[in-house]
Amino acid sequence: MAGLSVGQIRALFAQEAEGRLQSLSRLLLELEHTGGDDAVISAIFREVHTLKGSAAVAGLDHVSAVAHELEELVDDLRAGRRLVTPDVIDTLLAGSDRLEALISAPADDAAPVASGAATGRPDAQPAAGAAPVMNGHDVNGRASERDAPGGPAANGHGKPGAVAAPAPSPTPPPSRGGPNGSSAHSVVIVPTERLEELIRLVGEAASAHLRVGRLLTDRFDVTEPASYPEFNDLSRLLNQLQDKATRTQMVPVSTITDQLRRAVRDLARAQGKDVRWDERGADTELDRGVLRQLSDSLIHLVRNAVDHGIELPAERVAAGKPRHATIRLHAMQLGSEVIIAVTDDGRGIDVERVRERAARQGVDTDGLTEQELLELTMRPGLSTTSFVTDISGRGVGLDVVKSNVEAARGRVEIRSELGRGSEFRIVVPITLAVLRCLLVEAGGQRFALPFHRVVLTQAYDLTSQSHAEGRSVVWVNDQPVTVSALAHTLGLGRADSAGGPIVVLADGARRHAFYVDQLVGQRDVVLKGLSPVVLRVPAVAGASVEPDGSILVVLDPPGLIARAQHANRVAVLSPDVTRDGPRPRVLVVDDALTVRELQRSILERAGFDVRVAVDGSQALAKLAEETADVVLTDIEMPIMDGFALTTAIRAHPTLANIPVLILSSRASDGDRQRGLDAGADGYIAKSGFDEAGLLSAVHRLLGARV
Amino acid sequence: MTSVEAVLLPVGGDLYGLPMTWMREVVAVTAGSVTPLVTAPAVVLGLVNLRGEIVPLLDTAALLGVGTVPAPAFAAVLYTPYGPVGLAATGFPERAALDAPTGPSELPGTAGVFRVDRRVVVLLDPAVLIAPEHLGEPEPRARTSVSAGAG
Repeated sequence: MAGLSVGQIRALFAQEAEGRLQSLSRLLLELEHTGGDDAVISAIFREVHTLKGSAAVAGLDHVSAVAHELEELVDDLRAGRRLVTPDVIDTLLAGSDRLEALISAPADDAAPVASGAATGRPDAQPAAGAAPVMNGHDVNGRASERDAPGGPAANGHGKPGAVAAPAPSPTPPPSRGGPNGSSAHSVVIVPTERLEELIRLVGEAASAHLRVGRLLTDRFDVTEPASYPEFNDLSRLLNQLQDKATRTQMVPVSTITDQLRRAVRDLARAQGKDVRWDERGADTELDRGVLRQLSDSLIHLVRNAVDHGIELPAERVAAGKPRHATIRLHAMQLGSEVIIAVTDDGRGIDVERVRERAARQGVDTDGLTEQELLELTMRPGLSTTSFVTDISGRGVGLDVVKSNVEAARGRVEIRSELGRGSEFRIVVPITLAVLRCLLVEAGGQRFALPFHRVVLTQAYDLTSQSHAEGRSVVWVNDQPVTVSALAHTLGLGRADSAGGPIVVLADGARRHAFYVDQLVGQRDVVLKGLSPVVLRVPAVAGASVEPDGSILVVLDPPGLIARAQHANRVAVLSPDVTRDGPRPRVLVVDDALTVRELQRSILERAGFDVRVAVDGSQALAKLAEETADVVLTDIEMPIMDGFALTTAIRAHPTLANIPVLILSSRASDGDRQRGLDAGADGYIAKSGFDEAGLLSAVHRLLGARV
Repeated sequence: MTSVEAVLLPVGGDLYGLPMTWMREVVAVTAGSVTPLVTAPAVVLGLVNLRGEIVPLLDTAALLGVGTVPAPAFAAVLYTPYGPVGLAATGFPERAALDAPTGPSELPGTAGVFRVDRRVVVLLDPAVLIAPEHLGEPEPRARTSVSAGAG
């Protein structure tokens, strides 16, 4: 450790200890649940032993002494000299808390004491050989083996009667985490501001990369930087770096579930209730800041569930319920929201009592539905418990939970059934998440659709289409499903812009099919929530920064379905009838297949009737067969180039008025001038070509002609 | 009278002042760098990528109810309680000190009329102008352009 100051060493220890104490707490709860698993005991021993050693290295002897006490006790468990009992778990948890308090205390406050620290008093007694330090609990039954001269539990909370017993029979290792699965070993705690700086710099690097690409094009005549593997490798690596860096802002819900479980366990013990803890979807990730904002509310909800919801065992048995109650935390991501539900199978909320209390407070409850009455419990002073407890009956109530959640731009939902239990759902919008998405194109724009809402995709099939109740429907798995054009639903195209592949989305029981222009693929998308300034955007869940720096809009399928279904029903008699008139005809002339088809695709999606020709002479032949409203031509082509074609069109008696737009990789002023001299109406350099620019130019020419 | 340090935003033929205390940076934008935000209110021109941050770009003219910005060339990015927000400008914003106002302004979201050389500058009040409630409900885009050219 040469070169590190004492302060730096202690800071490192504090980082290490935080992870180890979290792990220790989780393992202790696991131990209580499994009832003495050897592997878990060994893992606990390792954590405590390492903490002891590290604390000593950091010169924190008082911390080391506490860890030593814990280590002794765990060693007894490991050797089978002591059984795992709730009291022992209490003692170990209290010791863990004590360690946490000592480590987090400012250096000056963390006096090198043990028994004094246990009672909260300063004490000059040296740590080594000090009294037990597990605050309020006695490590009973092992005094003869202890080297602590102060003896057990000076504070009177000790429970006699623990006996040495054979080691309990081994049970399978715990499924979650496991003795070797402690995440603390692979976790480094990094200050948030450093992460934010890292993310900012990665963003700067990606931006600089884009500028280099433009520089190569503008200054070094590299038409397509992306065609060079080296440039592509850099793009790919920067993309991955940005993705990974962004993910560092997200943490799983499991980072706070240990403290929730601990709160449930301690309170249930204190109240003589038998409560099992169950958690699902704890790997659901959400923004670290949001989770921090929600943690107090979740603690309140689980404590509330134990205190108000869960009955005493005898009461449960009398009601025909299992003796042990269950509190479940279920986290999930649904579209643009993360839901964290706390459910109990306790007594539920008596809405009639809510009504009585509300009426006494002057609330007009006439005509309120049961659900509205339930929601009254989130008003200040409307607790339904018949007595005030020490735990959750004073002051802080669901109204505070509600306001805290709303501060995180979320909401609280309540469901409850008398005698069966209650569920409180905290629903927060996603500020950041990684979603598996289906990427599609519609109306000339690319969109992402969260994959968990995609039922299926299928190719366009004219025979599967029909109409019902004024709406277009398609047959999907032998069921008629209403279909809309995604572009139209998003306000980007006409209602009849149908004909592409179909994506069927679901929102609960509702299904809706959407025509898209193209299915692009599927991949993980780092979804960021939109600014509150544009929060009220229907059908949009958020957006993501693409590798090339562009922004991908992520759609919200439930919102999308609602928007499509609320759209005016259009009596679709036949596609032709609903069209505004004949589609403008565009002739695309280019010898490069890719460019030709790209232009065709863009123009057709925009509603144009597109024909193609591979050179000037073929273009003239096609124009002779049927004229066009716009000609879009390349310059470099075999047989007849674009200049010659333009000149020929201008010289032709019936074609002379057709607007001609040249689109070429020859971008010099001389070429541009030559094209205009030949009679072209516009000139677009392929290096600056983009879809919007092309459509804009074509529309402009059509408008100008009219 | 203390002068107000401001950034002057050309918006078509108009010139609007933004108090420096709100300014974060000015960035160039092109049509290709603004991603349209489907179903958004008409005042939202789209989203721009500001070094990995997704920033809404608002139509300054539409916010003021004086038409639309036809082709934004720059965005003045503001610090706001809602995170960074871009206001579209048609020309490069320059910095100036605004002395005593020459009179009151009429539009909601503005805070007086000032003179800079021979130009008229209307000072914006971003707290009012970009409040979410000021943005209105989502609606289809139907707009008329303000005349471009000044700035």
